[in-house]
Amino acid sequence: MKYLDLAMNAANSLGAEYADIRIQKTTDQVTYLQNLSLKHTNTEVLYGYGIRVFKDGAWGFAHSNVFSDEAVLATVQKAFEIAQLSASVNKNKKLRLAPERSYIATVKTPIQIDPFEVPLNEKIDLMMEVNRTIMAYEGIRQAVFYLILHKDEKLFGSTLGTRLDLTSLFIDPMIIATAVHEGDSQSRTFDEGGRAIGWEWILELDLIDKAKQIAQEALIKVKADTLGPEERRSLILDPNHLGLTMHESVGHPTELDRVLGWEADYAGISFATPEKLKNYRYGSEIINFVGDNTLPQGLATHGFDDDGVPGQKWHIIKDGILNEYGSTRDTAMEIGLGYSRGCNRATYYFDQPINRIPNLYLLPGTKPLTPGELIADTEDGVYIQGRGSFSIDQHRVNFQFGGDFFWEIKNGKLHRPLKKVLYKSCNPEFWNSCDAICDERFWRPFGVVNCGKGQPPQSARMTHGSAPARFRNIRVGGSQ
Amino acid sequence: MNSEKILQYIRQHCNADDWALYISYWDSHETRFAQNGITQHIAGPKLDITLNVSYGTKSGSATVNQDDENTLAFMLKTAQDIAAHAPEDPEFMPSAEKADLPEVNNCDPETKNLEPIQMVDIVQKAIDKAKAFGASVSGMTEKHYHNSWMFTKNGFAGNSERTNFGHSMTIKKAEVETKVDYEAKNFGGFDLDRDFAQLQAQAEALADLHVFEPQKIAVIMRPSALLELMWFMGWMMNRRQSDEGFTPFTDQLGKPFFGDKFSWFSTLKQPGLLARPYDYEGIPSKEIAWVENGMIKNMPTNRYWAKKVNGTPCSSYNIFIPGGNASEEEMMQMVPRGLILNRLWYIRTVDAKSGELTGMTRDGVLYFENGKVKHAVNNLRFNEIPHDATRRILALGASRLASASSMLPTMLIDNFNFVDKTSF
Repeated sequence: MKYLDLAMNAANSLGAEYADIRIQKTTDQVTYLQNLSLKHTNTEVLYGYGIRVFKDGAWGFAHSNVFSDEAVLATVQKAFEIAQLSASVNKNKKLRLAPERSYIATVKTPIQIDPFEVPLNEKIDLMMEVNRTIMAYEGIRQAVFYLILHKDEKLFGSTLGTRLDLTSLFIDPMIIATAVHEGDSQSRTFDEGGRAIGWEWILELDLIDKAKQIAQEALIKVKADTLGPEERRSLILDPNHLGLTMHESVGHPTELDRVLGWEADYAGISFATPEKLKNYRYGSEIINFVGDNTLPQGLATHGFDDDGVPGQKWHIIKDGILNEYGSTRDTAMEIGLGYSRGCNRATYYFDQPINRIPNLYLLPGTKPLTPGELIADTEDGVYIQGRGSFSIDQHRVNFQFGGDFFWEIKNGKLHRPLKKVLYKSCNPEFWNSCDAICDERFWRPFGVVNCGKGQPPQSARMTHGSAPARFRNIRVGGSQ
Repeated sequence: MNSEKILQYIRQHCNADDWALYISYWDSHETRFAQNGITQHIAGPKLDITLNVSYGTKSGSATVNQDDENTLAFMLKTAQDIAAHAPEDPEFMPSAEKADLPEVNNCDPETKNLEPIQMVDIVQKAIDKAKAFGASVSGMTEKHYHNSWMFTKNGFAGNSERTNFGHSMTIKKAEVETKVDYEAKNFGGFDLDRDFAQLQAQAEALADLHVFEPQKIAVIMRPSALLELMWFMGWMMNRRQSDEGFTPFTDQLGKPFFGDKFSWFSTLKQPGLLARPYDYEGIPSKEIAWVENGMIKNMPTNRYWAKKVNGTPCSSYNIFIPGGNASEEEMMQMVPRGLILNRLWYIRTVDAKSGELTGMTRDGVLYFENGKVKHAVNNLRFNEIPHDATRRILALGASRLASASSMLPTMLIDNFNFVDKTSF
């Protein structure tokens, strides 16, 4: 805590209107096994601090990896000077910060088994067994197991008097089986997208069973038919697939910095502009999206964001209507919100935090409905599992998604497996076409650990979730 | 930071059979602006030290970002512990041996010494120009100095120093959005007046927007658009992935697979083009043709796969696509109608085996007919197979720098496959 006080006192002495320091140690253990060859096993520890100074309506941010009184003071000075330079440009466009109180808190991701304490040979033995299981299937040409363990330890102090001790952690196992058959090659992936939890999750997952499943499904997929020309059909999307769909078509358009045009040069802007708040029909009446940075095991559940704002839960879309954005202290004031929703996050100590998607999920249907009943109620459609190709325009309107595994539905039954299926839709057509969502028994979370945004680019993580849902009259067809 | 001191520490204390040491140092200044104001402003140095070690064929690695002895000892112990617990690697390769590395000139002192006040002045001038044009501007002004070293127990010693300056501007005036960017190893080639004039011209050309339905149509693809496509195609062109049946290039090495107007090189001979002297495996950069007049001559191949297939290890270190001499005006005369694309966006693989990609146009699409630009049109989605598209190249313009490490021409491509449109 010594450097927190030193830095904040120095920032106050220089005349900062606000300042904070984030001392952050990030530990990553990444293991990449291709077939039975360990291609990469690396432990990385990045340790340093970033200091933000707010002066005359502008930010300055400086970072360092040197821990000494002199280095901390020099970094405060640099951040202050940069803020002054920024302010010289922002004379007629001063930023403001939403009011916030001070907090003193310690928050840690609850875990039972620390994944970093699990012996490496145990992890590698499991990974080898998984890949051996996949490679044992005739027709499988490649097995890949990619395991990420990630931990952030942060000490945060601000001139508001906030002092935070935050430790967050996640695990992300990803397994890919690739089959080759008669000139084609298709993969099937096990990818839950990461979860903020201990090694106990890996033990519960039964990855050998998952390996058998994806190997078998890769072989089915490579021999499957394609769908043929694009037609309007029903789509049933599983929660894993919907995680990415909502990320791209709801999560990003409701980041307030995009709405304000702050990402215009790179990640893009948003069609969901402020005059649409509280009146724009984003989806059908059964569509309720909640931002929730208190979600247990959520990848964006850190206790507090990098503005020192606590995690919150709020409706982003309520009964189909655009309700509110994900915001930060500086973006909130641009639309007169007066408070931040706590969405400011940085990746490493050397990154200035930016407005990120919170944990964002679709509430389950309120009437009892199973996936089997949903399929039985669908005459002609496609059931998509897992994540595949995804692409969306820079206003977050028009999009095309693929998937990882596909079944054609005929007369209420899974008729035949398919490959290379794509669907095209746009906002708000897509979410307005949702006519059924399975109930809470079938709601599942799925993580995104590599959400790229910003200049310089940063990679953030968050959790999405839903139950299987049906979308009517969507353009669905095969690729070329 | 003292690279020699770090190396000496590893030499003295590492007991592994083999090791490779990587040191990277960056000093960056990044000023981000949006809607005529600065929103982010970042400065500071970064350090990255990675040690790969191996005992027999068992390997492990660790990365830290501080160079004091305690941290180096932690890195060494961590890497050695990982290697001790790792299984034997059937694809193990010993570290690189001493190699003759090409001389490169990637570092520009003027760029290295750019002061923050100079960069903020550029931002201020860009904003002033945008305001005078009745528009808002968003972008990023950045400079980077990067110095890296690679050493191995087997005698490889390499150093690579480079600078980079970038300035991007996206302008918005009424409903028109368009972008121009400069990115090169030297600041000296940057001219704000020139770039803003181009931005203004692009914006004015886009003012009259008409609805356009998706279809197959000829496109004049400007270098910034083509570059986006090339990144993805280059990523798929991997020798091992192809040999194992996962890409469209399986069994195509040495065969005419691309259109005969298409060639693709990595080169040390273009003075404006960034070219690193060696890659992560210690493979020295050299003149290499990936595709020559449509024929696949080489594919990026790592040292393990090169040994297995009796090939030569090689990797891509920049993109040079030779052009021709057709102007955009001449290209517009060559087809009855078509589109001019400034830039592409959000490209993703649709099907890795066929090489099919999807993506959107961005920052302005112009419709031309009978040799003349008629009006702007809405953005469009494409689903296209890039190597197949090279078979439909009708003409090439002169190559020019599209980023610090890429030089490409404008291309006239027939029957580009647009499948959807967006509302703007």
